[in-house]
Amino acid sequence: MMSVILRRLMAAIPTLFVIAALSFFLMRLAPGGPFDTERPLDPAIAANLRRIYKLDLPLWQQFLLYMSSLLQGDFGPSLHWRDFSVNELFARALPVSLRLGGAALVIAFCLGVPIGYRAALAPRGFPARLAGLIILGALIVPPFVVAPLLQLLFGLDLHLLPIGGWEDGAFSHQILPVTVLCLPLLAAIANLTRASMRDALAEPHMRTLRAFGLPARVIETHALRAALLPVIAYLGLATANVLTGSMVVETIFGLPGMGRYFVDAALGRDYPIVMGTVIIVALMVIGFNLIADLLLAWLDPRIRRE
Amino acid sequence: MSEPASIKASFARSISPALAVLSLITAACLIGPWLSPHGHDEVHRDYLLIPPSLAAHPTKAETEAALASIGQALHLKIAGFEITHSATASPTLRATFSADAPIDSRILRGFTGSDIFGEPHIIGQNEDGRRVSVRAPLRSMHFLFGTDANGRDLLTRVLVAGRISLAVGLLASLVALVFGVTYGALAGYLGGLTGALMMRFVEIVYALPFIFLVIVLTMVLGRGLALILIAIASVEWLDMARIVRAQTLSLKHRDFVTASEALGAATPAILWRHILPNAFGPIAAYLTILVPRVILLESFVSFLGLGVQEPLTSWGVLIADGARTIQSAVHLLVFPSLFLAATLAALNALSQDLRAFAGRGPGDAQ
Repeated sequence: MMSVILRRLMAAIPTLFVIAALSFFLMRLAPGGPFDTERPLDPAIAANLRRIYKLDLPLWQQFLLYMSSLLQGDFGPSLHWRDFSVNELFARALPVSLRLGGAALVIAFCLGVPIGYRAALAPRGFPARLAGLIILGALIVPPFVVAPLLQLLFGLDLHLLPIGGWEDGAFSHQILPVTVLCLPLLAAIANLTRASMRDALAEPHMRTLRAFGLPARVIETHALRAALLPVIAYLGLATANVLTGSMVVETIFGLPGMGRYFVDAALGRDYPIVMGTVIIVALMVIGFNLIADLLLAWLDPRIRRE
Repeated sequence: MSEPASIKASFARSISPALAVLSLITAACLIGPWLSPHGHDEVHRDYLLIPPSLAAHPTKAETEAALASIGQALHLKIAGFEITHSATASPTLRATFSADAPIDSRILRGFTGSDIFGEPHIIGQNEDGRRVSVRAPLRSMHFLFGTDANGRDLLTRVLVAGRISLAVGLLASLVALVFGVTYGALAGYLGGLTGALMMRFVEIVYALPFIFLVIVLTMVLGRGLALILIAIASVEWLDMARIVRAQTLSLKHRDFVTASEALGAATPAILWRHILPNAFGPIAAYLTILVPRVILLESFVSFLGLGVQEPLTSWGVLIADGARTIQSAVHLLVFPSLFLAATLAALNALSQDLRAFAGRGPGDAQ
């Protein structure tokens, strides 16, 4: 067990390195620079700025410098938020994204699994219809349509909820963003649970259980355990994505989270923020995939044996 | 065995509504902008944020408002006006202006450049020149979907945007298809260290959510149509490569492949003649998921302002604009969203039918 985890963590190091190198050099190929403004800067000032941020060194030297400070946990200074380091910015942005994403994940899981489960058991019942509606809706109405519609309905028409802003995480400011974040996840989880639950119930060993005359409740619980495997595999991928902030939701609701900083930084060529976000996301993807795989091994003996 | 026939029949039955919707939208987007009297970048200054309606513009109120603003700009009083409708010609405005000093014929310039009035004529002037009658035809226009904040016809813009969205969806999928299939088939067939390294690269790129990659790529490539196409295609081939590789691995030790190897066939020939035709089912199934995904991704990137740039537009750009003006003009959000949703729904239905037809059930995530 420990050796598996260690081996996976070792394998993550070259992956992270390649990702860092890839995005570093790709990004620096991009036209435009962080200090471009409408009115060109005085050449002497521009040169000074570039020297202070070490942007005048050869690219490979900059990369080595960046990597060595990264190894010490330093993401470097932000080029746009002049008085802040990327670490300080992330220390404020990451909790926002984590709170929203975490809430969306928990709600999506707690609602999605039961809905999918009931939908598989009674294909004509209310949960099945609800599941079908949510799944289709999430597929054809993307979050960037849902979000403004909810703002219009609950914010501008009914005056029930604020249409945006964070206000230090006031509860009412979280409701709409979490809802928008939650819906596609909910749909995916319900869809997966429904499909894999159907498959699980059709397995021969379920027929055996039925032949033994076990109560339906017990059989369904057995099936659910198998049906959860694809859901957990999916969550391994989705969690990192949701927790590091949805660019759309944060842009629309004006929330100071990771996704928002990333988009702004990409537009403004704030290299350290872009790099930092990419690395944090990659770390989380690797981490949550590892956790998902461990959970899968715990649930499924066949995976453990491999 | 009547089963294949019945599957085919039900396939044809269920596929037709989805196909009908898709072809309708595609045809409208391809032909519509030509038939439309408005250009997608044509600005109508007198018709800003007009709500959608079937009625012709200008309405009586709009004509009056335009006339009043002309009078105000020229410091003239409007002594009277009437709008005459006739069955044969377009409606005509007759207006009489009055002022304290003699009126010059240059007042006609107040009418030019307007979206409401056509070529104006002076039809009468009394002796002291202080009263002038002007006749101007009214230009009749329709804005079925209304107009945006710059007075551009939304219907034309939605159709032009549809061209872009659909073209990006198809082209990016095509590029992803060609590249991903080649890469996956090679990695699977060559195997060994080369194959392992090739797939290791795919896995590394996988550790980043696609959207981050697309945005980093749009940073590199700049913004614009061709560039967003490349950016999307260069992340979407990864899945295809994995699927084709898995399929190739399962095929390459089959007897017919070994036989053609023994006969001395070259690697490309084996891939093309034996491997790919047999991997067609999963490739086609994945392609039907890929096209809507790419359309959505393009809309998403354009929504963030990183994609197609004005005056060209795509559904994502229109939806972003609509979201911004949602309080004053909901139609700007509703119509592009409806087109996007209808396209996605049709493509999704099509893909489910195709996958059911190819013998694999629907229900995988994404």
